[in-house]
Amino acid sequence: MVRRLARGEQNLSELAAPLRMSFPAASKHVRVLEGARLVRRRVSGRQHLCRLEGAPMKEATMWIEQFREHWEQRFQVLDALLEEMKSDDRGPSARR
Amino acid sequence: MNPAGLQVSTPSDTTIVFTRTFKAPRRLVWEAMTTPALVQRWMFCPPGWSWAACEMDVRAGGSYRWDWNGPDGTLALTIRGVHREVDPPSRLVHTELMEMGPGAGPCGPEGGSSEPWELVAALELTEREGVTSMKMTLAFGSRQARDMALQSRMEHGMEAGYRQLDALLAAGTTGA
Repeated sequence: MVRRLARGEQNLSELAAPLRMSFPAASKHVRVLEGARLVRRRVSGRQHLCRLEGAPMKEATMWIEQFREHWEQRFQVLDALLEEMKSDDRGPSARR
Repeated sequence: MNPAGLQVSTPSDTTIVFTRTFKAPRRLVWEAMTTPALVQRWMFCPPGWSWAACEMDVRAGGSYRWDWNGPDGTLALTIRGVHREVDPPSRLVHTELMEMGPGAGPCGPEGGSSEPWELVAALELTEREGVTSMKMTLAFGSRQARDMALQSRMEHGMEAGYRQLDALLAAGTTGA
């Protein structure tokens, strides 16, 4: 449900249908998410519109962490290479 | 956590900033980042990928090109651009245009092709008592482009590559 909401605001019936949930079951699920401050619901006419609360920030934090790990791995290889370069550097100069 | 580990921040909607320290003089860090034979040793790629071209003309106005082939031997990723500012060993500014090809397979975009993304990367190196501090600023044309880079699907391939990397590092330690 949260993944579907990541695409934008949706009404509860739209959310429930592909998950094969009844309207009351979906409503209960949303209530739990509301309690966790993950989802915000507003009622417009007969529609219950749900959207993620503060989601862009949470998602961005997750992406940044993945991105960071990916680059950190590269830089750890660079660390090892630099160690090798430092010892090569010291070798010839020590003999001078 | 490694205190010298990479920090990533997004000070504005269109930028990503990396900071990290390296226990080496910046002359060596510069060399490792601007010499094709050395770049190929640390800029690794997902398992099964291989370097197809690594050419760098590190002068203002000079161009560079990095190509990788995927497991099927066809072009998976190209990163190319032009050096705008070159001031060894402290400052390097270059443009980066990234394009994924059909060889990227599951690491690539859905449908096998993507819009190229373009950015300007500014590398700054400072040295204190033999330790180099790096600051790299990646500036994108739009917030959308920046977010796309952060979400890059290449990560999936990279995660799978960590085990390979561990093996490589272990081999490097015993070989040295």
